[in-house]
Amino acid sequence: MADRLPLLDRLRDPSERTLGLLLLAPAFVLLALIVVYPIGRLLWNSFFDLRLSGGGGAKFVGLDNYALVLTDQDFWNATANTLLITVITVPGALIVGLGLALLANLPFKRRWPVRLALLLPWALPLSFAGLIFAWFFHTEYGVVNDVLIRLGLEDRRDPTMWLLKPGWAMAAICLTIIWKTSSFMALILLAGLQMIPRSLYEAAEVDGATPWQQFWQVTVPMLMPSIVVALIFRTITALQTFDIPYTMTKGGPGHATQTLAMLIHATTIDYLDLGYGSTLAVCMFVMSLAVTAVYLRHIGRQAQ
Amino acid sequence: MSAVTGSRVAGQGLWSGPGLRLIAAGLVVFNGFFPALWILFTSLKPESELVKKPITWWPQAPSLANYVQAFTDQPLGRYLLNSAIVATLSTLLSLFVSALAAYAIARLNLRYRQAVLTTIVASSMFPLVTLLVPIFETMRALGLLNTYTALVLPYTVLNLPVCTLVLVSFFQSIPRDLENAAMIDGCTRLGALWHVVVPLAAPGVFTAGLLAFVNAWDEFLLALSLNAGATMRTVPVGIALYQGEFTFPWPIISAALIVALVPMALLIAAFQERVVGGLTQGGLKG
Repeated sequence: MADRLPLLDRLRDPSERTLGLLLLAPAFVLLALIVVYPIGRLLWNSFFDLRLSGGGGAKFVGLDNYALVLTDQDFWNATANTLLITVITVPGALIVGLGLALLANLPFKRRWPVRLALLLPWALPLSFAGLIFAWFFHTEYGVVNDVLIRLGLEDRRDPTMWLLKPGWAMAAICLTIIWKTSSFMALILLAGLQMIPRSLYEAAEVDGATPWQQFWQVTVPMLMPSIVVALIFRTITALQTFDIPYTMTKGGPGHATQTLAMLIHATTIDYLDLGYGSTLAVCMFVMSLAVTAVYLRHIGRQAQ
Repeated sequence: MSAVTGSRVAGQGLWSGPGLRLIAAGLVVFNGFFPALWILFTSLKPESELVKKPITWWPQAPSLANYVQAFTDQPLGRYLLNSAIVATLSTLLSLFVSALAAYAIARLNLRYRQAVLTTIVASSMFPLVTLLVPIFETMRALGLLNTYTALVLPYTVLNLPVCTLVLVSFFQSIPRDLENAAMIDGCTRLGALWHVVVPLAAPGVFTAGLLAFVNAWDEFLLALSLNAGATMRTVPVGIALYQGEFTFPWPIISAALIVALVPMALLIAAFQERVVGGLTQGGLKG
């Protein structure tokens, strides 16, 4: 980083160390309070029957909650939905985001309309995106069905009931998530595109590479570091999907679009079952830990 | 950012003509603006026009009645105030804490500074929903549900990683000589930090603050779980819960969405380049 003089490093002055501890203390106190303590509390809770609605104190139940998870239909359904959303929207957002980034990287005279068009969906709250697209996908008055009917792809008397049929509801949610998250992806990839030295394209041109070959031989490999980081972050946020399905379908019809985060929220906040809610959260925690480990290994490898 | 104008860039070979370039820009702009534009149209239509079939695109008789109703049916003004207070307080707190940490990481000879930075960044990757259960339990036990504190504290921590990452790279870009010169002139280390580093880092602090503010303004899950009381809702929660009372009052929801969107859109439009710069340095939100 800033200076790597080994001599200076060895002669580290102790007051500098004290200052460092002082400066870092507030951050670590907050992290301990809002991250470390809750994680410990979560593990602890998961071994208890902790239903606030029933009255009575916490009762130690050992691994009962975990045994319950294994046979809980709602858990497996929510996990399957969460993984489905992740598997569809992460590559989806990458492809759409890459397309947007390539288009936005063209030499326009005025860059701000394009840049703002990428920033606006990023700044929009996820819950707003959910509400807006719920209106888009409205069976009777939604613009999606209106366009499909005008194009002759759909019968006016039998419009698609987007948010009321399980498969269509999942499709609508995935499309919304892809729209919302692809802009962030595009911004990250655009920054990566602008770092690619022009000389690489000139060299490829001299060698007679077609634009298509240039894309696969120059653009994609040079963009790989940005793509990997963007994909890992997107995967972690996709596993936590909550806002968009909550505002579009509330998990319905039935439980067809309920995600793991929604199940944890309902168990904890609506049913006040903190013990089982904690157990579900531990399961989710383990899943995202796996992705985080991949990320930390990745940046560890880059730092070397 | 603007180094590409008129030069060879990725994909240019496929889209060389000015006409095609216009189509490309049109696609990106349509993708970004259409949803907000459609909601704007909806908000200007009276209920009677909204249920007409086939649906109209342009508002036939634009009226602001939905906007009036958005404020009178629900305390939208109060929601906006709640969001502004929570986002502002957590942003200031987050900036203060992360500026101290970032300075230590960027400037001091600490043995474990890479590990410290990794720890702070990794903490942001824990799913918020798993922290929801214990945070809810604690806030409930302390009687802090439906208070600003319940959201300000978690949002501050939520934004620590982004702010720290952005600020570390800004601090590192400030020449160390300036600071050393101030210290030779008799400034203490903290004096040099305050008089030299802070003014020079101001753009970085502003960028980090902007990102933190947007994150806090947008947060939904914690706000819904901890502060769902009628007068303590933030804007995203308030508008999402409009639905419950009637059967989906779409024109009113649209008007409320536009009211909530405009300040944010103006903020983003005014500081585009800084936001993009900050995002590529430390943006973790997706």
